[in-house]
Amino acid sequence: MTGSIIALFLGVFFGFSLNKAGLTKYNKIVNVFRFTDMAVLQFMMTALVVSMSGLYILRGFGLITFPNVPATYIVGNLVGGLIFGIGMALTGY
Amino acid sequence: MKFILNYIRKETWSPYVAGVLLGLVGIFSVWLSDSLLGASGAFENLAGLIGQAVAPAAFDNVYFNFIMPPGITSGVILVIGIFFGGMIGAATSKTLKWGKKDAANSDTQWKRTFGPQVWKRWALAFVGAIILEYAAGIAGGCTSGLAISGGMLLAPAAFLFIAGMFASGIVTAMLIYRRRY
Repeated sequence: MTGSIIALFLGVFFGFSLNKAGLTKYNKIVNVFRFTDMAVLQFMMTALVVSMSGLYILRGFGLITFPNVPATYIVGNLVGGLIFGIGMALTGY
Repeated sequence: MKFILNYIRKETWSPYVAGVLLGLVGIFSVWLSDSLLGASGAFENLAGLIGQAVAPAAFDNVYFNFIMPPGITSGVILVIGIFFGGMIGAATSKTLKWGKKDAANSDTQWKRTFGPQVWKRWALAFVGAIILEYAAGIAGGCTSGLAISGGMLLAPAAFLFIAGMFASGIVTAMLIYRRRY
């Protein structure tokens, strides 16, 4: 039950940040592929850097253990990414 | 305090500020619930749940039994939260167009590229979403579940996925926009 409440709150903040960064708009998503608006990349990379450093610091203090890292299938990840990009540029997901 | 409230009311934040917020969400996701953020898996969990009720034989395979077990997982609840979070975000900046005339297709760039028809937008969103979900199934995650959550654990899979996503995204955008690229 607590797990669900935590998930709900995480989701609310996740959706909130996506909306405020403008990633819920078609033009933001597709313009990153046209190199006219780099907001998606700035947003994603900032999130990556913050959470990456935060998680590794917390693990260094022994406060958390990492969950299972997504498995690497070189062909699967690459082909999945290639198809995903088509859908992303089409819909602006 | 007033500055912060005013900033919350802004329609578009600096992507860096919003990125820091998402980064904190990612940290708390691992810290509090020992799981990664992810959106695409939830749809597969739900699809599995519906599929097993409607056609149990067709859904009795390795994928739905072991890789994506059906049910109301925490991912499903996360997606519900994302929906309401996005709505709160739009409401705070007063861009929530609930039931207004232009609400279904309000993106001017989209209209310029494909035309003003609403059904076109819905059709393209439907086809594109099928492509997205299928690709997320192959790769093992979507932008949030693999690229961001995997990336923050420095998983090689995430960076392969990002590379593939941008390569084909750029080509697709070129094909759509042609001379206006």
